[in-house]
Amino acid sequence: MKNIYLPHIAEIVDVKQETSDIKTFTLRFKDKAVGKAFTYKPGQFVEFSIFGEGESPFCISNSPTRDSIECSVKKMGKVTQVLHEMDIGDEVGIRGPYGNGFPLDELKGKNLLFVAGGIGLAPLRSLINYCFDNRKDYKTITIVNGARTSKDLVYKDEYKTWEKAKDAHLHLTVDCQEDNWTCMVGVVPKILEEIKPTCKDSIAIVCGPPIMIKFTLPVLMRLGFCPESILTTLEMKMKCGLGKCGRCNIGNLYICKDGPVFSYAQLNGMNYDH
Amino acid sequence: MQRLITKQDLVNKLTELLKDFEVVGPKELSNKGIFYQVIEDAKELYLGQDFAIEPIKKFFLEPSSWILRHAKDDVSLESFPQSDKKRIVIGARPCEAKGLALLDKLFDSEYKDDFYINNRKRTIVVGLACAKPDMSCFCTSMQGSPAETSGMDALIFESGDGFIIELVTDKAKHILGSIGEDIKEDQKLNKDKMKALVKKVIKTPESLDKVFESDYWDEVSRPCISCGVCTFLCPTCHCFDLVDEEKKRMRCYDGCSFPDFTLEASGVNPRPTKKERYRQRVFHKFDYFKKNFGENLCVGCGRCIRHCPVKIDIADIVDKAPI
Ligand code: SF4
Ligand code: SF4
Repeated sequence: MKNIYLPHIAEIVDVKQETSDIKTFTLRFKDKAVGKAFTYKPGQFVEFSIFGEGESPFCISNSPTRDSIECSVKKMGKVTQVLHEMDIGDEVGIRGPYGNGFPLDELKGKNLLFVAGGIGLAPLRSLINYCFDNRKDYKTITIVNGARTSKDLVYKDEYKTWEKAKDAHLHLTVDCQEDNWTCMVGVVPKILEEIKPTCKDSIAIVCGPPIMIKFTLPVLMRLGFCPESILTTLEMKMKCGLGKCGRCNIGNLYICKDGPVFSYAQLNGMNYDH
Repeated sequence: MQRLITKQDLVNKLTELLKDFEVVGPKELSNKGIFYQVIEDAKELYLGQDFAIEPIKKFFLEPSSWILRHAKDDVSLESFPQSDKKRIVIGARPCEAKGLALLDKLFDSEYKDDFYINNRKRTIVVGLACAKPDMSCFCTSMQGSPAETSGMDALIFESGDGFIIELVTDKAKHILGSIGEDIKEDQKLNKDKMKALVKKVIKTPESLDKVFESDYWDEVSRPCISCGVCTFLCPTCHCFDLVDEEKKRMRCYDGCSFPDFTLEASGVNPRPTKKERYRQRVFHKFDYFKKNFGENLCVGCGRCIRHCPVKIDIADIVDKAPI
């Protein structure tokens, strides 16, 4: 019997404190064969098990072109609280990868505009590094990354590499001016309006808190992006990850199985609860 | 293939089958009503016309069942062993069996759920046709009927002192084909005529898309007390939760009528009020499932109508939706 709910055991091999409440965990499957067979696309997610507490879904935040599996976790509910107490050598369960991931073929040959807010950078980071690792397949890469304060910015060590890369622009912003802050100030939609990224031959990939997405979409439309060329990755409470437990649907589509990546055009035609 | 059998034939056959099979059927529990249970003695079976309160679903998708645990070494994980004992269900109603056929579409498709599939594979379902549908039944509006055989291996009909048995699958012919006697042409049942026994008839729109935003959902969900009875008693509701207990994990029923079903750890709830939750129940059944699998996820069994403490009637609600 094949048990679709059975996780594989993985060991935490590194923990990095990103912000006061976000940590990035690097994982390695105990069973080497499982590790070898585990392949994924940027944008896909896994179900994390903490035995005795339950499961939670997290996107894989590093690129499949790099050789570890990383997930960034914000301390929120009971699973994430326990996870935050865990350290190198501790074991968790992992099943997946689930979801559609980003449409890599559609992105080829395009200018890419990444728009992230807070931990919304996690799924985008997987794709950003994937694109940098396959640099010739893409044109200009523009990253707009915002957080409430500079302390809430994630993956800080990678900004230098992104900034220095050829044909790449990184715009960092925080909501309010702070001492010693030399980058931009203002919420993400406002920054987009200032920098006016081109919509020509471009695809925008947006991920962040709902409020940021809500105000970012109209700005992108004003800049000339069509709904088909705006992608976002959604989150909802999920349990099974397989389209069966019945929670994460928007209309007849399940975020876990038909998403989490959707185009704005797709979402426009759907019945939203919220 | 139809045959004529007496009550005694049936009891004898079940007694014989009890040696190798687990037998499940309706039992009358004093002061409680009719419930499907494992039968030890064929004489315990209740084959009257009153409906079981819970549908037969609970023997395929259990209210709660262990799905995995830590192995003895305390490190690796293993599936909970599943029974492979052959099983015969007798007396399930056509609507409930059709419910299984609908659940097959979900659990026995993309990402197969072998817990459910194993329960289906090891079971022969012998249904009982409905001679007395009640006021809440509307199976004929859901492509069913009191004599529908979808999801079943065989169906028995009350006939005089005994039954007529219709053998649908080879499995059933093999196991039950020898009992009773051949039926004469004029004794055969007119199954189409039985449809007329169902008095509640509703229209179901092809799609509910247009009324998603309507205030109608506010209005119809107002009396709901979010008790979840409708989802637990429904033969097709399949939403579940995965819950840990120390070193074991179980799957158990959950339902879209509960406020915390979609409540996220961040405190956000995409379906914060009864309006969104009840609308989800109706849309899942009469719109989304149809878009994904081609059929309504309702068999018209009437359970959610019969047992709703505030008399919410899903059939009426769908029928009167302001399309
Ligand atoms: S049984 Fe009735 S009251 Fe209870 S959740 Fe369902 S509709 Fe609401
Ligand atoms: S929705 Fe109600 S009538 Fe339809 S199958 Fe479920 S319990 Fe029966």
